[in-house]
This record gives sequence, structure tokens and C-alpha cells, in this order.
Amino acid sequence: MAEYVGIDLGTTLTGLAWLKADGNPEIVPNADGERLTPSVVYFDSHEEVKLVGSAARDGGDPERTVYQIKRHMDDPEHFVEIDGRKWTPSEISALILSKLQRECSRIIGDIDEVVITVPANFNELARKSTIAAAELAGMKVRRLVNEPTAAAIYYAHSHGVTGRVLVFDMGGGTLDVTILEVEGDNIRILTSEGARHLGGGNIDDMLVEIYAEQYRKQVNAGLFTDERQRRRVIHAAEDAKKMLSKLQRVNDTIGNDTDGIARIDLSREHFEKTISRLLTRAIMLVEQALDGVSLQPKDIEHVVLVGGSTRIPKVKTVLEKFFGKPPKSCGNVDEAVALGAALFAKKSARVQEVCNQSYGTLAYIVNARTGEEGVRNSIVIAKNTPIPCSMTQVYTTSEPNERRIEVDITQGEDSDPRYVDLIGRITLEVPPNRPAGCEVAVTYSYDENQRVSARVKDKSSGRSEEIAVTYKGAGILSDEELLKRGSALRQLRIE
Amino acid sequence: MFKKVLQSLTKAFGAKITAPPVNRASSTARSGDSDTGKKGLPESDAVKSDAPPKAPSPESLCGITVKMPKYEIRKRLAVLYRRYNRAASSLDAGMRAESEMMLDAIVKVREKHFDPI
Repeated sequence: MAEYVGIDLGTTLTGLAWLKADGNPEIVPNADGERLTPSVVYFDSHEEVKLVGSAARDGGDPERTVYQIKRHMDDPEHFVEIDGRKWTPSEISALILSKLQRECSRIIGDIDEVVITVPANFNELARKSTIAAAELAGMKVRRLVNEPTAAAIYYAHSHGVTGRVLVFDMGGGTLDVTILEVEGDNIRILTSEGARHLGGGNIDDMLVEIYAEQYRKQVNAGLFTDERQRRRVIHAAEDAKKMLSKLQRVNDTIGNDTDGIARIDLSREHFEKTISRLLTRAIMLVEQALDGVSLQPKDIEHVVLVGGSTRIPKVKTVLEKFFGKPPKSCGNVDEAVALGAALFAKKSARVQEVCNQSYGTLAYIVNARTGEEGVRNSIVIAKNTPIPCSMTQVYTTSEPNERRIEVDITQGEDSDPRYVDLIGRITLEVPPNRPAGCEVAVTYSYDENQRVSARVKDKSSGRSEEIAVTYKGAGILSDEELLKRGSALRQLRIE
Repeated sequence: MFKKVLQSLTKAFGAKITAPPVNRASSTARSGDSDTGKKGLPESDAVKSDAPPKAPSPESLCGITVKMPKYEIRKRLAVLYRRYNRAASSLDAGMRAESEMMLDAIVKVREKHFDPI
């Protein structure tokens, strides 16, 4: 049995690594001989088979193919409908994980327990969905670990660095920035910030627009009219992006059966100008991370690049200009996260992580000094608090004779309630005939997998209520459905 | 210094308080035209609520005025970026879309007022 296994369940690629007996991690290839498996699932209409990986990405009908499901792991209402059957994001992810589990276990032995990586900015629901995906695939999640944390562990392991490190992890769908301190085998995370829609997929979309524009100018027609044609253009754009990381200019021909072909001419300068807005957003995220822990760029000793999109020369240039020193590659930018996850499976006790989000409740807050008052998001557990942790805030009730106290659980650090998510509510029945101003203690606990639970205690009556946050929506399975669909999924033919 | 009175969404709306409308009563509350709602809105949102037929400029979306000094613009953009970058992962699809639009505006203002990255 493989004891320490890590899986990088990526937006575009998924990789599995294990820790060898010598203490070094190694990527385990799938049965197609690939070290990384495209995170794509194809539902065939003729055979009862789910294709996962390159075959699904390159060959199937796009209408029956699911790409980048990870982008929807935090959407409670998202599902994919194929032949009348609704598949949740967790189930689609489970198909990808199942392929890896089945095929890699032939090489390294049974895989029962794994560490799975998630973007640092994955919220509570997305983390829960990831755990559900692994359970559906028949694996127990030993821990979730943030992708940049895993990459940093691998970097520290392979380069033997010490000091303050900033990991810039630009993957297929998201950008994560994590600042941490490394001292020997010990790693202390200071903060993690993440941004959606800031990855290779977004860059590809921009290139597709350039292709479509040049095509329109030459042929006076649209480049694609259906999903199959659009996918072809995306592949071409991806190839052009890779070439532009090495060359100054790329020529390509692209077309469709109806309107013919056109010649595409792309320069690196044009490409860099196109993505500059995206990179400005990336730098603002770096600034936010530094600001969150009161650091300046000069305080960072090592800037480490992770993720395929960091191969783009402009990414390196921008970071070098910002930090005043060249960033360093962690080696294989595509595999570092999976390799670090395998290391984390063994070394998790030596890694001090922090809470990635703030959790609070709604309270009417009166500032006696300034006179300001209003309903605000009152933080109970602040972002960047070391985890696991448990924190309490005491509030008072507003009205006499209240029979029910309702506590809304919020996720997000903004004091303005409009910009945070309500992720749960606890209702506590209290005795009658109480005056206003009774004290209520609200306690939140945050576990190592970044999952939150809440407890409310009415101090005068001693009554309390406790809940773990649960979500509902078309894209979420109940516990009962999880069991039922999990056993069905494990019977499927997945290749 | 702070008095903290526990509220819930139900109470917050029931009380008709003068604070900003609360979260996920969502798009209705945000785009609603009650005076109560508008009073508490930050400048950028106030502009949005009263949006003229012509699309507002990135500066007006971000609440940047002509006379605002550079350091203040930078500070405001950082605050807005933090707010909308988080809200881009909101559970509310409407908020996610709004956040993407705001992030685009924030970056445009940054690129216009500061050196290129």
C-alpha cells in the first residue's frame, strides 16, 4: 500500500505523486504513460465508459465533454447534464480522481488515503466539494493542503532554502500568492491570497479573441460557430502561447470548413500587451498579500514560481521588476504541487497553516468613540489566524422577550455585510421573559482542512447549539446521495 | 468602546436600520431604490445605483475624483481590490459578475494613473 500520496487536482491537469522509501517524492504516471492527466471527462454516447484525460480532451464531442470543472467547485448551483443525468462538480472531479487511483495503484499499490491540494482562495464549499470528490472515488482525504503551500514544501525540500519565501502559483484557472517562512524542516505560512480567473485558461481566452479578430479581418466571417470549432481554436491558441514563451513571433493558419482559412500573425509584444491587464491584477494580488502581513517587497528573500503560466517570460519580468530580484523556478512548475502534496502527507505536523478566510456574524455595532453605528460583519476568526483554532466573541441581544436567537455565519473579511457570504445560520431557542442585553457567546472552530463549525451559547440559560456548515443547491449532494452515488461511481468503467 | 448587538438578516431588515442593506437579500437589496439603502452605500456604489444610460467611467465606478492625490488613489484601489477580489468567489452569481466588472475597472484606473507594471 502507498502510504504517503498527494494529488494535485488541477483546473487543466491532475497529477499524483507518492513518497518513495528514500523520502523523495515521485510522480506516478497514468496508464496512458502520462505524468499529468488532463482534467477533462468525456461521456461516450455509444459505450458505457467515461473517458478521462488526453483521449477525452482531444477526441470527443465537445458537447459531451467537461473541461475545467474545478472552476465550478464553489458554485452550489452548478451541474452538468448528460443524457438526462445531472452530474455535480464533485462527481466529475471524482471521475478524474478515480482514473488516477485505479491506474496509479497498479504501480505503487493500493491508494486509500491521500492529501489533495486546493487553491488557497478555495472557499468552504469548494473544499467540502473536493473532499466529497475523493470520497466518491473511494479515497479518504488525510488532509487538504493549499497548492502554494505544497509547492513551497517541495521547493524547500529540493533546494534546501531558509528564510521568507513568496510563492507565485499561476495555474490553469487561478493565481495563488502565499508568503511563508522556512526554517529547516519547519514551515510557517504567514498568508495566502488567491484570485479566480487569473490563469492560463484566461490567457488562452484572450488569444482566442485575437485569432477570431484576425480571422474576421481577413475572411469577413466568424472563426467558429460551434463548440467543436472553438475547442480547435483554443488548442491552437495554447500552442501559440507556448511558442511565444520561446519565440518573438508566431505564424499559424486557422480556419473552418465553411469560410476557409486565414493566416494568424502574433508577436510576443502584442501578446504581452494583451495580457498586461491580467498581470496588473496579479501584481495587485501580490501587493495585497504583502500588505496583509505588513511586509515590503524587500522583505521577501525568495520568489518562487509555480504553475504552467509562469513560463511566460513577461510574468518573470514583471515579478523581477516588482521585487528587484529575479524569481526562481521551483524546477518542474507543473509537478511541484503534486510532489509537495506527497511530502506534506508525511510532514504535515511540521507545517503551520493559517485560516484563509475570516469568519464572523452580523452584529449591530456601536462605536462609543466615533458614534458610528450600523449592521456590520463582526469577525470572530480573522484571516491568517494559525489553525486549527477556536475563537469566541460575546454579543448581546437587542430586544426583550426574544424566544429565538438567530446567528448568521459569514465568510469574508469585509466589514460591509454586502461583500461577505452567508454560509450558515444557527437558531437557538431561549427561555421566555428575558430582558434585552443578554449575553450570547459565539464560538467558531476551524479545522486543519479549513472547514468551519459554529457554536452559540446563551450565557444566562446555559443553552447551546452547534452546527457544521452545510450547503444546499443543485450542484451539491446530500450525505445520503454521496453514499449512493459513490458506490455507483466505483462500478463505472473509467479509462 | 464597541457595543456589539447580535443581529440576523431577518432582524437587520425588520429593524429598517440606517446601515447599508445586508448581503444576500442580494440583488434586490443592492439595486433597490429605498432611501435606506442608498444612504449607507460607498461612493462607488452610489454612482452605480444611479447609473445613467451611458456606462460610468472606471474612475467613477471606483469613486476616484479628479482632485484625489495619487497616494489616496492607490489606497482606495487597494481597498476595492481586496473587496472585489474576495467577492469574485462569492456564492452569489450576481455578486461574482459585479466583482469581475469592478476588478476590470480597478485595473484600468491603476494602469491609467500609475506606471506600468
